[in-house]
Amino acid sequence: MASKSSGSTKDKLLEGEDEVLQAVILSDSFNKRFRPLTTHKPRCLLPICNAPLLDWTFESLALAGVQEVFVICRSHAPLVKKAISESKWSKPGSGMKIVPIMTAKETYSPGDAMRDIYTRGLVTSDFVLVMGDLVSNIRIDEVVRVHKERRRTNKDAIMTMVVKESGLKHRTRAQGESAVFVIDPETSECLHYEHLQGYPRQKRISIPREVLTAHPEIEIRNDLLDCSIDVCSVEVPSLFQDNFDYLDLRRDFVHGILTSDLLMKNIHVYVAREGYAARVQDTRSYESISKDILSRWTFPLVPDDNHPGGHIYEHTRGNRYIAKDNTVVLARTANIGINTLIGSYAKIAENVSIAASVIGQNCTIGPGTTIKDSYVFENAAIGANCTIERSIIGAGVMVKDNSVVPKGCLLGDRVVIGPDARLPPFERLSTRPIKNVDEAKLASDEAGKGEDDIDDEGDDSDVEEVEAQQDSIDKTALGKDTNALVWPRGPPDEEDDDEGPENWKNQKFMRLGETLDEISEPEEDSTSEDDDSEDEFHDGESMSGISDVSIPFDQSEDKAEQEFKAEVVQSLERAFAEGHSLDNAAVELKTLRMASNVPLTRVKEAVVATLVDKIKLVDGDMGAQRKEIGVVISRWGDLINRIGGVDPVETVSILQAHCASSIRMPLFGQILAALYQEDIVEEDDIRKWHRIPASNGEALKEGIEAENFQKCWVIGSHMIKQFDAQESDEDESDDASEGEGEGEGVTKVTGKKPENAESDSDNNTQTESETEQSKPSALSRITMDTSNKTDVEAAKLDDALKTPTIKHQVPPSFAAVVPTAASSASRPLVKRPDPPKPLTQSKEGESETDSEVSDSTEAADAGASEDQSEDVSASEDSSAAPSTDDDESA
Amino acid sequence: MDLENVKPDLATKEFLAVVLAGFGDALVPLTSDYGDEPCPKALLPVANKPLIEYVLAWIERSGIHDILIICPTLHRSSIYHHIHSDMFSSSLRIDLQTYEESEEDNAGTCTVLRHFSSRITEDFIVVPCDFLPPSDLPLSLLLDKFRVDALSEGCLATTCWYQPNPPEKISFIEEWGPPPPTFPIVWDPSSGTLLHVDTPDDQDRNPEDIDLQLSMLSKFPHTRLCYNMEDSHVYVCRRRVLDLLHEKPHLSSLREEFLPWLCKDQYRRPKRRKTLSESSSSRRSHFQFLSLRHSSLNNSSLDLDFSMEHASSPAKIGIFVPRGEAPVRINTPQKFYEMSRRILSSTVYSLPTNAKDRSLIDAKAQISSDSIIGHSSQISERATIKKSVVGRHCVIGKMVKIVGCILFDHCVIEDGAKLDGCILGKSTLVGAKAELIRCITQAGYEVGAGESAKGEKMEVSDWMATPGEGEDLAAS
Repeated sequence: MASKSSGSTKDKLLEGEDEVLQAVILSDSFNKRFRPLTTHKPRCLLPICNAPLLDWTFESLALAGVQEVFVICRSHAPLVKKAISESKWSKPGSGMKIVPIMTAKETYSPGDAMRDIYTRGLVTSDFVLVMGDLVSNIRIDEVVRVHKERRRTNKDAIMTMVVKESGLKHRTRAQGESAVFVIDPETSECLHYEHLQGYPRQKRISIPREVLTAHPEIEIRNDLLDCSIDVCSVEVPSLFQDNFDYLDLRRDFVHGILTSDLLMKNIHVYVAREGYAARVQDTRSYESISKDILSRWTFPLVPDDNHPGGHIYEHTRGNRYIAKDNTVVLARTANIGINTLIGSYAKIAENVSIAASVIGQNCTIGPGTTIKDSYVFENAAIGANCTIERSIIGAGVMVKDNSVVPKGCLLGDRVVIGPDARLPPFERLSTRPIKNVDEAKLASDEAGKGEDDIDDEGDDSDVEEVEAQQDSIDKTALGKDTNALVWPRGPPDEEDDDEGPENWKNQKFMRLGETLDEISEPEEDSTSEDDDSEDEFHDGESMSGISDVSIPFDQSEDKAEQEFKAEVVQSLERAFAEGHSLDNAAVELKTLRMASNVPLTRVKEAVVATLVDKIKLVDGDMGAQRKEIGVVISRWGDLINRIGGVDPVETVSILQAHCASSIRMPLFGQILAALYQEDIVEEDDIRKWHRIPASNGEALKEGIEAENFQKCWVIGSHMIKQFDAQESDEDESDDASEGEGEGEGVTKVTGKKPENAESDSDNNTQTESETEQSKPSALSRITMDTSNKTDVEAAKLDDALKTPTIKHQVPPSFAAVVPTAASSASRPLVKRPDPPKPLTQSKEGESETDSEVSDSTEAADAGASEDQSEDVSASEDSSAAPSTDDDESA
Repeated sequence: MDLENVKPDLATKEFLAVVLAGFGDALVPLTSDYGDEPCPKALLPVANKPLIEYVLAWIERSGIHDILIICPTLHRSSIYHHIHSDMFSSSLRIDLQTYEESEEDNAGTCTVLRHFSSRITEDFIVVPCDFLPPSDLPLSLLLDKFRVDALSEGCLATTCWYQPNPPEKISFIEEWGPPPPTFPIVWDPSSGTLLHVDTPDDQDRNPEDIDLQLSMLSKFPHTRLCYNMEDSHVYVCRRRVLDLLHEKPHLSSLREEFLPWLCKDQYRRPKRRKTLSESSSSRRSHFQFLSLRHSSLNNSSLDLDFSMEHASSPAKIGIFVPRGEAPVRINTPQKFYEMSRRILSSTVYSLPTNAKDRSLIDAKAQISSDSIIGHSSQISERATIKKSVVGRHCVIGKMVKIVGCILFDHCVIEDGAKLDGCILGKSTLVGAKAELIRCITQAGYEVGAGESAKGEKMEVSDWMATPGEGEDLAAS
């Protein structure tokens, strides 16, 4: 065996069986998923089953026969270093040498850490790379053996990833971040790696065809749990050094190696069929791994034996573990459920009920309190009659009497809440950033580097940010004695990393207590090639973990739609209330649409409906009403087009449909005008809508809705008439400026004007009475209101308000209430692109045009406002009037 | 169902075999017309026995007696003649139907099935006329898989894919055209489910990657992607498949369009399929699910998931992968050649017992034992025949050397010609001293005396020149 090709140290290392097995632990997590629990200490020092994660990792490595461990520490490095020096592994005779390595604060990613390993030249042979939050009982030495065996024949096999067969929906399998492995079953070479995350959810994966030529039979596996245990050869750190864009171990490095045409390296997987290995990578997996430990899947690493914290527990029936040193004070009436661990010196008062939870050392639990599926760290004090469910309670937290902590809450160290606190689900609380004295002392040599925290063990800039926002948050629910800072509840305003797994939506997949039914999006199947109706079927299949099976048997389409509408309304209300930007609101809606898989039209309907309902009804005061509309539409109207698929015609139809079935029916015209004003719908769109047969509601059954449909349609007719009038004016203005050659146009218009006015006056009385008798709608109320006005200007304005058609007099900004007709009249002319204004137009001609336009619009308005119930043919006639010669004679 | 006690009468009603006899475009020039007379693929002689006979025998062995043969109108008479000739077993009830089709405008298999759907009243099996299964693959194996799946998992169709033999160096002759492309498929070995068939369309759309839907992988998390499997084109289908075919009138090819679509349907929201599936079956699986859920034995996550899937996926597409010897589909000249050789290797030639036939074979002719000579063929002195199939009524001249060849009926090889690795269509005439290596000839082709050719497909360009001349010669 001995080195045949001696000289190459690498070979020697490969051959040498008694070589020291080295391991590298990246103790930093490089993300913020555990915040605010990790504001004061690194994740690897968070306790799981009352022992720090790092100790579990050491224990796992010791089990595998690792002799030398390098711990790469970054944030809270002094704390990690201290923890290592105090741990039992540092004592002589532990059999494992642990070397903490302080890396620079600028290490932002696992890739940076690997480069650091390379520059320091830490590893000399094949090594085991794990994260500092591993709990495992897998025989890693066996993996190392297989890896070395393979290296003997294939020098390009640089890495072996340990994965575990788990089934698709295993509770420990991270839903937020998982992967599809494509493996050659013969050689277990990993041929393709596809990273998956909960959100945004990929619909398909792509396997390069070229893989098939060399491997005609491959396995695609979506049921593997990535244990994050990698056996790497020495050149792995150097590959990181060569490729500066490798950040993440999996998404960048593995993917990069496998897709690279140049490197020609192979990565293999080791599918562990027995044993247990998992990473505490988020709060969700924290829970599942706690449960796994308590149910002894990790044997021999269990609380009553080999507990990494050195505690001794007594294992009793039903996986109840109670500290063996007789320091636990258990009231006789306390009810300890199964799968529960209680640390030493804990005091459990009477009538307490604890189930499937972990209680740290020195905790006090007041009488009558219920704790379920929760994790209470050491020194916490829970008062009387509290309820805590599926939450993590940090060290030294005080929950005072009668408080309720619902699912998913994370309470940072030393937070005080209550009495009578009522937290919302998924609340995250921390204390104000008072620097812990010893931490400050320890960190003093690291001072000045605190700005750059991208990871959850970072420093306080995040906390400060949170602190800055506190004023706007109502903290009465937290109880009067609280000292807590409330961490942001909703999604961040600006998503810095939409692609990676750290986006807010995806984080939902990772948080404790989230039932995945709520967030999981239906798996859709928009198979473009199938172009048929299947596309709209969505898969109601839930991603629910087996631990909380709830079978959505017949979730009817209706219900889903209702839910979706409610969601849109909520999301928009949030946007309104918090003043999101249009873009953000649009993005949120888009994601909502993707998540619920509803057609675009539904979204539009929901948005339009919400916008319309958002408009405050102002009784009596037309101006104020119009202002209300203007405010809403100018601020949010554009949202309709931002949610995707600009189809103004549809927008109008939706608006009509919604108004027809709502009490805001009378606002239809004004809203349409406002939309026009904001360029959300154009003149052509209104015309097109008007031409759609369905628009006039004839197809509908008799009833109020049909009637309203018709009314809307008539309003549209007026608007179009208005456009026509305006157009002819424009023609005329063009003509006028161009010369007298087309005097005809002028006569046409002048001929039309009186006609218009006449018809208006004709209809005036009739219409008014009709509306009145048909229904005392808000519209007629408005009409009556305006008639009371004495001031001519005001009357004119109110007329304008009532009729959607005279948007020329609506100023671009609604701040100015009474615009001058001339100034605003010119705007739409400029806006309309169809008849370009001749550049040579004279000043004189312009002013003339303006006055003419305003005149004619005024006249038309006056008419249009009144004759809403004018029948279709009449309105069509009048709208067509300017272009036909017959009208001239009239 | 107690399979033991099923009466044969009932068994016959269970399935109808639909044999699709196409033109065999890929076999040109062997299937090109001989004058006005077509040479249907179904009647190509494999070891002097028409192809379709193998298929019909295979079907018959599984106990199915109702057969619908669908062939182009042009081929009707010759196939009709064959079926009704006395060489043919009579226990089958054969319904021969034709469809109007020209060779240029090839109607898809879906179209054909749709057209004859009124004649198919029960579950059916689609069999191509060119499928030659090995003896250890009876059709009943496939039917049993279908029966089990149909009962327990609402299986809609069962397909049969196989790993073809790696092409032998000798028999694979590049000049005869490239091998047919294979398409990757994805299937789940544990449940025998076909999940994805990559179509030429997919390949066009994304030549770099194979796109797989994630919904598939979440239902079947452990699957296999194979690039080396071939479709037998034998599909055991529920009658319901025809209804689906009618719903999708734009699909024309069963394998390239309909099957991929069906596969995708398995992991799509099965709304529509639900209405079609019998309510009883879904209820049963629901109960099954409930009982599994409450069972103390089956609390592993997989089982629960599995039964949940069944409740919601009523249309499984099964896949059967035979082990052992690979079947062959005779859809290229190579495959034809390969199959003939395979049969030859297991035959032992003995001189005909019939005195008349025997008298035609010269005593000085050398015929190796791995050859087949059809009856009424004349073999002259000092001719050598090795590893070859010689059809009926052939005339082999003196000093002719035939190695590894397949001669169809009525071929005439004149004196001194040398043939190596050739396939000669019906009534081919090879002139004296001509030399052909790895050639394929169309029926009625004439190779001039002394000509030599290598690796060619020889087709008759102008029929008017020598109509029926080959036959005349053969008769003489």
